[in-house]
Amino acid sequence: MLSLYNHPTTTTTTTTTNLKSHFPSITHLRHSPTFPKPKPKTLTKSLLQWNRKPQLSGETPRVVVVTSGKGGVGKTTTTANIGLSLARLGFSVVAIDADVGLRNLDLLLGLENRVNYTVVEILNGECRLDQALVRDKRWSNFELLCISKPRSKLPIGFGGKALTWLVEALKARGDKTGGNGTGTNGSGSGSSSTGSGCPDFILIDCPAGIDAGFITAITPANEAVLITTPDITALRDADRVTGLLECDGIRDIKMIVNRVRTDMIKGEDMMSVLDVQEMLGLPLLGVIPEDSEVIRSTNRGYPLVLNKPPTLAGLAFEQAAWRLVEQDSMQAVMVEEEPKRGFFSFFGG
Amino acid sequence: MASIWTLHFHSLSVRPSCPFFIDSNSSTRRRRRHRFLITNGISTQQFKQQCITSISKFHHQLLTSISIPMPQFLTNRNIGINLPIWVCVAVVILVASLRALSKFSRKKERPGSVADLVRRGQLRSDRRGISRNLKYEDPFDNPLVKVSKSKSSVEMCGKVYRLAPVTLTQEEQAVHQRRRSRAYQWKRPTVFLKEGESVPPDVDPDTIRWIPANHPFATTSTDIGEDFAHKNVSQKHGVPFRIQAEHEALQRKLEALQNEEELNKVVINPINAKEFERPFNSHGRLNDHAEKTSLNNQVKDPLSSKLDSSPNNFGSASSSGEDQNLKL
Repeated sequence: MLSLYNHPTTTTTTTTTNLKSHFPSITHLRHSPTFPKPKPKTLTKSLLQWNRKPQLSGETPRVVVVTSGKGGVGKTTTTANIGLSLARLGFSVVAIDADVGLRNLDLLLGLENRVNYTVVEILNGECRLDQALVRDKRWSNFELLCISKPRSKLPIGFGGKALTWLVEALKARGDKTGGNGTGTNGSGSGSSSTGSGCPDFILIDCPAGIDAGFITAITPANEAVLITTPDITALRDADRVTGLLECDGIRDIKMIVNRVRTDMIKGEDMMSVLDVQEMLGLPLLGVIPEDSEVIRSTNRGYPLVLNKPPTLAGLAFEQAAWRLVEQDSMQAVMVEEEPKRGFFSFFGG
Repeated sequence: MASIWTLHFHSLSVRPSCPFFIDSNSSTRRRRRHRFLITNGISTQQFKQQCITSISKFHHQLLTSISIPMPQFLTNRNIGINLPIWVCVAVVILVASLRALSKFSRKKERPGSVADLVRRGQLRSDRRGISRNLKYEDPFDNPLVKVSKSKSSVEMCGKVYRLAPVTLTQEEQAVHQRRRSRAYQWKRPTVFLKEGESVPPDVDPDTIRWIPANHPFATTSTDIGEDFAHKNVSQKHGVPFRIQAEHEALQRKLEALQNEEELNKVVINPINAKEFERPFNSHGRLNDHAEKTSLNNQVKDPLSSKLDSSPNNFGSASSSGEDQNLKL
């Protein structure tokens, strides 16, 4: 059996020592050199109460763009699930659906009936920012903002600028003195805006392609999460998009490999996650296994991470969210499913 | 069917008249007693007779119980002995069912509960906010995710996966970055032009993004200025700019229209003055009120003077008509 420490690689000695040193007893798949985690005392205690929370690193708000290049690889699913995972971990999150023509994030979150105002209406002065933010009833620290309604159009001249203004406005949400404009009419319902402060995370769901929508979405971002599937078409687009992001000055890029099938990897019908990483040269934020529950949860408008009992993909999304908070990356990946050792395995069964 | 059979067996098993259907301890006891009786001089003939009668009795009872199960069971003369047990069982079942029913109804009827909201159609049952706080403290070590002691495999959702370490180094990442920077020379487009538009001077052609004519972005007309848009985004309180502007514009238009229409209509066709009854009435009322106040205060109100100035010319004219109406 291929062991974690006996894996025949070129950097065997350094990697293994690093892995050993960086794998505390509770976190085996990642390392966090800056934030050593306390060891949980008992399992019973951990089941009953909150003892730990991921350590938020980096400046807030963390503006993260979720992009891919190729369509249908799971950008919106990832945004919804990671966003809600972050909200469940106690961070305030604003998810922006930057897809101008084909927005879907509201559907995945089950909030489609509550989107009355979008960024276009904010820009036109038909509503305020706090009125356009849709608060999730399940997790009140999660808010959704759609950039436009399916048939409306965003003024092209300031698409990117508009998102930057939005991020600035969200940053300034905490301080009550800020805010210009026609704020003299104090009789309006401005209580909701004062109730919430600056968000910890702003997740931007980027549209597919590298058109104006992509440029708009990446404009305010400081870091990027690249979603790809282990197939060559998605990989080519992902490489190109990574190049564009790097040219634009976004250096903190991590990737999530979605729809991984270990049985196909075993049969050498699918590239392994390590192969993907070798091709793109990006640190791994997460590996999401193929899960039929994804479609079911999408249709229900109930993100996967809220499922009870948790599913395999849901757990993987939670782990990815944890790593995102700590600006961490994967140090070991799941390669294949081990055969179950039954009673007859002794006889070679 | 099964219930009937169990009842039969039960009825037979608890019958005390039958000597062969008592438990083993009592039967041995009985046998001992018989032996004692025999040794004490009771004839074997008598014992035989007794046995035969008891067997025949049992046989008869068995046959009758199988042929007519329910009446036999119900009309059994020995039911009186089992009656307290049956009553107890019935009471227990009744109490348990009543308790469960009351609990269920209380849960359902509690006003404001999620179940209540679902029942009233306020909340969809499939999209209920049933999400709770995470019960485990770490997504990497919890009852569903377990890493083996040798750290070579991980168990997730009951499936065991083999682990392999990530071998990407910083140097390799840098190599990839260099490769990409060579392959993709890109500048972020800052100028968006539709097909057919001319390139403005002092603009780097690399930063121009040409948008096809049928693109959703290209078909937009920017009817709002950039400064206004920026102001709108950062507005925190009060009525939104456009709403307020529209409201004010509409109000101005309405006032202007009212004034103009009144003037025009009266000038063109003074016979149609009755159409202005409502505003004139209100003005009339105001006038009356103003007159009263002026009379009381002995000071001429500026408002009443204003009202007197323009529409009150017809006001005075219409007042006669109003008086007529009142008289009629």
